[in-house]
Amino acid sequence: MVKQGIVPDELTKPFWDAANEGRLEMQNCSACNRLQNPPADTCSQCKSADNLEWKALSGKGKIYNYGVVYDCPVRLLQEDQPFNLAVITLDEDPGIQMYSHLPGTPVDVVPVGASVEVIFEKSANGQMIPEWQVVS
Amino acid sequence: MPLPTKKFETARFQSRYEERLTRLAILISFDIDGTLEVGDPPGVLTMELVRKTQEAGILVGSCSDRPISGQRAIWEQHGIAYDFAVSKHQLPDVKERFEAEAYYHIGDREDLDRQYALAAGFEFFWPDEAVSEPWLK
Amino acid sequence: MTTENAPASMYRTTEGLGVWEHKGKVAAVGIGHSPTTRRWDGTAENTMGANSIFALRQAIADAGVDPADIDGLVLDPVTTTGAHWPPGQEIPMDVVNHWNSTDDPLDGIAKLSAEWILKNMPELTNVKFTMYGQGCMSHAIVVAAQAVGEGRTHTCLVLKSWHNLEGRYNQSGVSAQDEVPGSFALAPGRTLWGAPGSYGTALQFAEYCRKYGKSHDMMAPFMANSRRNGLLFPEGYWAQHRPEQLTAEDYLNARWIAKPANLFDNDIPIMVSGAYLFTTAERAKDMKQKPVYILNHASSRGAQRSVLPTLDEVEKETAETGRKIYEGAGITAADLSFENMYDGFALFHQFHIEGLRYRGMQNGDALDFYQKDISIEGPDPVLPSGGNIGSGRSRFWMHTDSIQQIQGRAGARALTGVKPEIGVSGGPMPMGGNFTVWSATPD
Repeated sequence: MVKQGIVPDELTKPFWDAANEGRLEMQNCSACNRLQNPPADTCSQCKSADNLEWKALSGKGKIYNYGVVYDCPVRLLQEDQPFNLAVITLDEDPGIQMYSHLPGTPVDVVPVGASVEVIFEKSANGQMIPEWQVVS
Repeated sequence: MPLPTKKFETARFQSRYEERLTRLAILISFDIDGTLEVGDPPGVLTMELVRKTQEAGILVGSCSDRPISGQRAIWEQHGIAYDFAVSKHQLPDVKERFEAEAYYHIGDREDLDRQYALAAGFEFFWPDEAVSEPWLK
Repeated sequence: MTTENAPASMYRTTEGLGVWEHKGKVAAVGIGHSPTTRRWDGTAENTMGANSIFALRQAIADAGVDPADIDGLVLDPVTTTGAHWPPGQEIPMDVVNHWNSTDDPLDGIAKLSAEWILKNMPELTNVKFTMYGQGCMSHAIVVAAQAVGEGRTHTCLVLKSWHNLEGRYNQSGVSAQDEVPGSFALAPGRTLWGAPGSYGTALQFAEYCRKYGKSHDMMAPFMANSRRNGLLFPEGYWAQHRPEQLTAEDYLNARWIAKPANLFDNDIPIMVSGAYLFTTAERAKDMKQKPVYILNHASSRGAQRSVLPTLDEVEKETAETGRKIYEGAGITAADLSFENMYDGFALFHQFHIEGLRYRGMQNGDALDFYQKDISIEGPDPVLPSGGNIGSGRSRFWMHTDSIQQIQGRAGARALTGVKPEIGVSGGPMPMGGNFTVWSATPD
């Protein structure tokens, strides 16, 4: 399944550049030692922009929850429905979530709690996007 | 799938019933809104057309986002002895229940009608295509 | 006159504020609704602006006041959550020019300003105070209540309008594009990964079912009850256009949207406008309808840690909302005659009422509660308005019903198992909304 192409903007460019190089990076406030996703102009805890950096992550996580999308508003994905749409939490910080279509996992047969690792898939305009696969 | 059995008191009715069964080669599923005249928005297919189609020996029913009880009420209000009333995703169940030579679904939506129909192994027709088909009396 | 968004100071968003300083001093005295339709028919006479004027005039007439006595107007300028005017689509200028227009040609069609209303309601000669309660009727209500309490306005119209266009919600715009901005792709809510609107709620519900050992099937009695109540709401969409009950079979056979949310767990977008007239308790004494006093308003502004609120975050937030509601009104959960919390996605209503500790329920109890008698005839009514599930997407049936129940004007929907003296309504989301406590008496 091919997602919409991404046009990186100033805020998210580091994330997408890292993805193109096969790395998962996330915004981190070095003062609070706190990751945040989605990225923002300031730290959600201390509200400062001064200590935001991009931190490389292990690419390991867990399946926290999931649903199955049968009626998707995004045109490019409609031919792929139904599909899994899971929420992944990061091993570095289970409070941080990312979405995933769980490539390779059968629809509606999702092992909640299972370990996953990041992979990268090409979007419609070639931008790489982090996805997650169950670790067998 | 064996034909359903039914016994009538007179041979004449029995013969006509079995003759109808052997001629039940086509099944047509109708979306409602945007397809049938009673829909919202109203479609081009009239209830009279559906009735005549059924009287010609074709299996008819609805496949709609309307509640199933509401679909039944529409058929009953128009005096049509529908064979099924299901939700959009239940066309595979219809195919399982009824043996037919051809399965058609008529609807006005690419995402909800055409995709579900093709996934269930039905042939799909837009309402204005279907109205000129010979099997729609 | 420039209309501003209500400042943050008008919302009561934290615990520890004590009893609302204007408790019992503001009253609802008039109600008005436009007819409902599924979509705009493209005519000038049936625009969202036209519906707005209809509802406002009805509220004024219902209250029996002279329009010249009205000095305030609070409304939500945003009139959709998913039926956006398609970029590049020609705006019908014959429709625009049928009305006294503003600088924005979509004003009165796909958005709404106070200026547009005042330009097209010449009878409102004395409106000096206008403000936006942006979000939905729940927002506009708390802004109007606070404004009347503070003396910014003494007789204030409160308006929420909805437009709806051809096509499906959220399928145009960014959803239809081949490329999206990088920030959008990582944003919560509707994203690159194709989550429908009900996805977040569906996941919270899934987590709830796993945690408490419940199932989606257990929603069926709530759904049937809501539609039943909605069919007793003559102002509502289903009563007006498709008066058919939703049975358990209907609900359980509906197709999934974002499993475990099915088609009927999502409300149907419609066109409708609703309006109220608020005034001071003092002025209300001499008005046509029995006043319904506002004991408190409370707001939640929950912040999730990451892309979707977890069940823990939702339960924490709704419990805090419940405490704020009762603290400001000086009441407890035991004082509630009924609840009319939001149900725009059916699967989060239970989060709202668990947060209220309605009838003493705790987290995890609501779906079992739905299996009991939750009818308007029983002692534990749930959503007597029928909400959005019962009458279509308006986000104000709950408020109208609360006022009507207390006034004794709920008609066939009247609560008979309890005496409706104090009710609470509000929403929309468990993580963010505005809530109002209504009462038959000012204290």
